[in-house]
Amino acid sequence: MATQSQDIDSATGSQWLDKSTQETLVRIGRHGLLLVWSFIVLFPLYWLASMSLKPPGEANALPPDWIFLPTVYNYIQLAQDGAFLAAFANSVIMVGASVVLVLLIGVPAAYVLSRWDIPMERDVLVWILSSRMLPPIAVVIPFFVIFRELNLFDTRIGMVFMYVSINLSLVVWVMKAFFDGIPETLEEAARVDGATRFQGFRKVVLPAAKPGIFSVAIISFIFAWIELLFGLVLTNFNAVPVTLFVYSFIGSRSIEWGMLAAASTAMIIPVVIFLIAVNKYLAAGLSFGVVIKE
Amino acid sequence: MASITLDDITKRFGEGGDSVVAVDDVSLEIEDGEFVIFVGPSGSGKSTLMRIVAGLETQTEGDIHIGDALVNQLGPRARDLAMVFQNYALYPNMTVEENMSFGLKMSTDLSKQEIKDQVTEAAEMMGIGNLLDNKPGELSGGQQQRVALGRAIVRDPNVFLMDEPLSNLDAKLRTTMRTEINRLQNDLDTTTLYVTHDQTEAMTMGDRLVVLNYGDLQQVGTPLECFYRPRNRFVAGFIGSPSMNFFEGDVEDASTLICDGFTYELSERMYSNVGDRAEVTIGARPEDIELHDDSIDTNGFEVVVDVVEPMGSISYVYIQPVDQSHEQTFVVEVDGQQPIAEGQRLYAHFPPEDVHLFDTKSGETIHQRKLDSDVEMLAGGQSQNASTSSSQL
Repeated sequence: MATQSQDIDSATGSQWLDKSTQETLVRIGRHGLLLVWSFIVLFPLYWLASMSLKPPGEANALPPDWIFLPTVYNYIQLAQDGAFLAAFANSVIMVGASVVLVLLIGVPAAYVLSRWDIPMERDVLVWILSSRMLPPIAVVIPFFVIFRELNLFDTRIGMVFMYVSINLSLVVWVMKAFFDGIPETLEEAARVDGATRFQGFRKVVLPAAKPGIFSVAIISFIFAWIELLFGLVLTNFNAVPVTLFVYSFIGSRSIEWGMLAAASTAMIIPVVIFLIAVNKYLAAGLSFGVVIKE
Repeated sequence: MASITLDDITKRFGEGGDSVVAVDDVSLEIEDGEFVIFVGPSGSGKSTLMRIVAGLETQTEGDIHIGDALVNQLGPRARDLAMVFQNYALYPNMTVEENMSFGLKMSTDLSKQEIKDQVTEAAEMMGIGNLLDNKPGELSGGQQQRVALGRAIVRDPNVFLMDEPLSNLDAKLRTTMRTEINRLQNDLDTTTLYVTHDQTEAMTMGDRLVVLNYGDLQQVGTPLECFYRPRNRFVAGFIGSPSMNFFEGDVEDASTLICDGFTYELSERMYSNVGDRAEVTIGARPEDIELHDDSIDTNGFEVVVDVVEPMGSISYVYIQPVDQSHEQTFVVEVDGQQPIAEGQRLYAHFPPEDVHLFDTKSGETIHQRKLDSDVEMLAGGQSQNASTSSSQL
C-alpha cells in the first residue's frame, strides 16, 4: 500500500509539497477563480447601476469617473415620464399574463405527454420544439402579417400570445422531463386512496412538481421580459413593452446613457422580486426533479 | 372484509402479433381474511395480477369479484382497497398525517376530528405517532415503510394489496418488518394479497402461496405444500433456498437412471411412478443430500468439492461428480462444524425417500418425497389444482 501511494504521489509530481499545503493551495486557487468569475459577471451590473446614478454628462466620461456624487436625477426623470410608466406597466401585465397562460397550457400538455401513451409522442414533442428552431428574425414578418389580419397588432393580448409561443416549447419539454421523474405510483396510490385521476393530478402530482413549475415560470418570465425584436415589430403605441422603451434612448444622433442605465436597472427589479419570491423552489427545480424522493 | 374471486383472468399487453401475455387464464379463489402471497421471478405476471385486482390495469379477459360484487368496470377508487407500493409512493409534499388522512378525506364523509382520531390511532399502532408532522423526505426507509403501512390500515379497507413492500429495506429491517406485517395481518384479519419474489417472505408470511411463472399459475397451496409437494419442477426449484438440485437422466432397464456423472438405481415405488417415461429428472434438496467419506451403497458416487461457503451453523458445499462430462456443480448443505476442504473427494448419496422425480419434458412431478405423517397433514390437504399424477408415498 505504502509503495502504491508513493507511486501516485510521484506520478502527480507533487512530492515536494506536504498534503496540507497542497490542500490550502487548491482552496486558494478555487476561491480565486470564483472571485474572478464573480467579477466578470457582476462588473457590467455595477457599471450599469453606477452609470444610472451619475449626473448627465458624466455617464460616459472617458476615463470613467470612479468617484462621483450619486444622484437619483435619472430615476426622477423616469418616474415622471408617463410613457416609461405605461411601457413598464404593459410589460408587467403582458409578461405576467403570458407566464400564467403558458403554464396553464404547457403543464397539462407535458403531464399528458409524460403519462399517456400518445401515438407518435416523439413527433409531437419535436413538433412543439420546432417552433423554436427558426431564428426569430425569420418568423417576425409572418407574425406581423398574421397579427395584422387578426387585429392583434399593437394589442396586449397579441403580445401575450407572442410570449406564450416563445415559451411553450420550453415549458412542455422541461415539465415533461420533470413529470417523467415523478413516480407514477404516486397517482396510483392516490387513485387507490379514492381520488379520481384529475384529483390525483391536482392534489398529488402538481404539488410534487412545484419546483419544476416555478423554474419554468421564472425562465419564461425572463425570456418574455427581455424580448425586444417582436415587440419592435408587433407594437406601435398601445402595447409597447419596456424593452422597446429602453431601446428608444438610443437615438440617431445621441445616446442618453444615464436614462438608458436607469431604465435598464429598473427593469431588473421585477425579475429580482420574482426570483426572491420563488427562490426556495428553485434549487430543487433546476436539478430537474432528482431531489424528489420516492 | 371480502373474498376475492378471479375467473379466467388473462392480460395481454399490446395488440395482435406483438402482444405479450402477462397473465394467462388464471382462476383463483381467495377467502375472506386470507393472507395470500403471489410469488414468482420477474416477469411472472405476479405484479400485473395484483394491479388487475387493484383496478390499475384492466384484464383483457375474465371476471373479478370482490365480495359478491363484480368489479370489472370499477376503477380503483370504487373497489375499497388499500395498497402498499414497492417505492411506498408517499405523497412528497404532504406531512405524514396528511399522507395518512388523504384516503379518508377522498373516500369517506368523516369529520376532520374523526379523521384525525383514526390517523392518530393507526400511527400509534405503527409506532410513528411522533412523526406525524414530518414530510416523507425527512424519514428513513423503515419509517417511510411504516407510514405506507399506516396509510393503508387507517382506511380499514376490504383488501390490502402489498407490492413487494419490503424489497427496498436492508436485510435486518426486512426481517423485522416481515414479522410486523405478519402480526398486523393476524390482528386485523383483513384479506391480504402480497407480491414478492423473495421466497423467504413467501414461505414465512402467507396462508397460501400462488406460484406464477410467465403468467401461468404453477401451483396454489400452503407454503409447506409447495415446498414438500411441488406440482412441477419450476415450483420445486423456486421454493426453497438454495434451490433444489436437478439431474436429468435417461431411464435404462426400467429401473436405472443414467445421469451425467453417476447412475441411480430407482426404488420399486419410484419406477412404478416413472412408468414408461424415458427421460426423468431427479430433484434433491441441498439439505437432503448426504456426504460420506466412503460409498455406503450402490447409489453413492464420487464427487470433488469445488467451493465451500460457510454460513456459521451450516455450510453450503458446491461439488461435482468426478466422472462428469459437463462441468456442473450442485450444492449440499452440511453441518457448519464439519471440516470440508476444497478439492476434497467424497461420496454423495441421495436418500431414496427424500428424492423427487420430474418428467424431463413436461416438468410435471411424477414422484414425491416421503414425509413424516404429521408434516404430511400440513403439506397435504386441499391443494388447488393439485396434480393428479403426483403420488404420495
